[in-house]
Amino acid sequence: MSNRLTGPVAWLLFSITAAVMGFILAPLVVTIAISVSNTAFVVFPPHGFTIKWYGQVLRDREFLGSLAFSAGLALAATCGAILLGVPAAFAIARHQFPGRGAAAAALLSPLIFPVLITGVALLQLFAMIGSNYTALNLLIAHILVTTPYVVRTVSASLMLADMTLEEAARTLGAGRWRILRRITVPQIAPGLAAGALFAFMVSFDNFPISMWLSDAEHNPIPLLIFQRIASVFEPSVAAMSTLMIFFAMAVALVVERVAGLRRAIAM
Amino acid sequence: MAATPVTLRTPSAAGPLGKARSTSPSFLVPAAQLLPSLSFLALFFALPAVCLISYSFLTQSPEGNVGLPPTLEHYRHFLGTSLYTHVLWTTLRISLCTTAIAVLLAYPVALVMVRAGALVTRTITMIVIAPLVISVVVRTYGWQVILGAGPNGVLNWLLLSTGLVRTPVRLLYSETAVVIGSLHVFFPMMVLPLASALGKIDPHLEDAAKTLGATAWRTFRRITLPLSLPGLAVGCTLVFSLTAGSFVTPAILGGNSAQMLGMLVDQQILVVYDWPFGAAVASVLVAVVLSINLVSIRALSRGSHSVAA
Repeated sequence: MSNRLTGPVAWLLFSITAAVMGFILAPLVVTIAISVSNTAFVVFPPHGFTIKWYGQVLRDREFLGSLAFSAGLALAATCGAILLGVPAAFAIARHQFPGRGAAAAALLSPLIFPVLITGVALLQLFAMIGSNYTALNLLIAHILVTTPYVVRTVSASLMLADMTLEEAARTLGAGRWRILRRITVPQIAPGLAAGALFAFMVSFDNFPISMWLSDAEHNPIPLLIFQRIASVFEPSVAAMSTLMIFFAMAVALVVERVAGLRRAIAM
Repeated sequence: MAATPVTLRTPSAAGPLGKARSTSPSFLVPAAQLLPSLSFLALFFALPAVCLISYSFLTQSPEGNVGLPPTLEHYRHFLGTSLYTHVLWTTLRISLCTTAIAVLLAYPVALVMVRAGALVTRTITMIVIAPLVISVVVRTYGWQVILGAGPNGVLNWLLLSTGLVRTPVRLLYSETAVVIGSLHVFFPMMVLPLASALGKIDPHLEDAAKTLGATAWRTFRRITLPLSLPGLAVGCTLVFSLTAGSFVTPAILGGNSAQMLGMLVDQQILVVYDWPFGAAVASVLVAVVLSINLVSIRALSRGSHSVAA
């Protein structure tokens, strides 16, 4: 590394970077600290130490209901995104055909369009065709916003995969199905797993689509926490948020181990 | 949907290297692979988007039925009411400030990410990306606690106990609070494209500039900065569009003092039930975001041409 950072400029860059890291971590650390505060309201610095807010949250029927609903929704949406996104990624990464660029742009277009407006548009569509099945409406919307992530990671993995291995297997007489199972799938499996986990979290965390399509019986967890922030001023909200932070961190660590976080989001 | 596993099977044999052996015409396989996803997009993305935008040109009767005649009245109403144009300017101002601050802070972080040792790079990457999988609602709640009014807010506690201020400062429910929150949420979208662009720069170029006597600042200005512009353009586009279209952050941190377009759409459709006007506001937001994206795509393609020339 010839152009390693050195001298006073390096110190300046490192200090700014350290400050930015502090800025990124601050709201997370504060939330975790508040969640064990033995006070009736959110105050800083937190007083005492208690885990009673966690006990309260874990007995909260509404919270557990929302959690289970969000987890199920995210799981179903991820499956849908894989079914739609993996074949599309193969088409984009492995074939040359007229309109390939346009198809790729169309597949990623839900990422550019404001998600909030996608939500309103879907609300209008479901109202017009009279689709009153809230869970199904939410599922369709969540598949729509998660599919681009699967397309992006899987097509990136396919482009990185060593094609000569497939060619060698073919020369040695392996059939199409055998090549897919023994060569292609193992090569893209880490990328697919990371993309699927990331898609799961995108659905699990989604607010701007769910806010239009949910109802009282189908209330995803980000919406519940949003409602509680406005109505409850005790540290139980911080305890819920902390559980969400730890869950997300666990998923992030798994993704990092499996394929690397940067590859998972293909940026 | 039953066709999906079948179409999955073929690409390994019909890939670029295997094309000669593939018996079916080469466009049939990708067409079959793309059919489910593109029809899904057409039905649940393109169609509703077009419907919503066309609603903004229709008339709503007093009974709530939407239909002909076509009209530009909703856009005239939007642009002619200072309350609404104020929301548009607030949205643009907040998005622009967030983007500008993100650029200033992202350069040092991206440079350290690309040039530091492996351990530092990995740690920074983790800290920058991991929060992306934490719900925006949760992250914004943390900022509400930090910026909270009165002595119970973290920032006020810090400022008061260190004696920097005598009376609590009021930050929550302001544009500044929304900029801080948006910066936190969308910062990774600036750092990551920038770091990729910086990582692609040939280190010999900077070495050569230094050998020829250029100062660190001059090397940055003449070599690093121009070569990182594509990453910068992508980052700016992402941060600006995402901030302009956000809802959670302004709703929790801005309240009524920093109303943005997304909150206006929500209010018009879920509270006032004025679908055509809500659709018009939504279309304004879409126009803002798409024009930023078009400008950036134009700039990027022109940039790559000039490099190639």
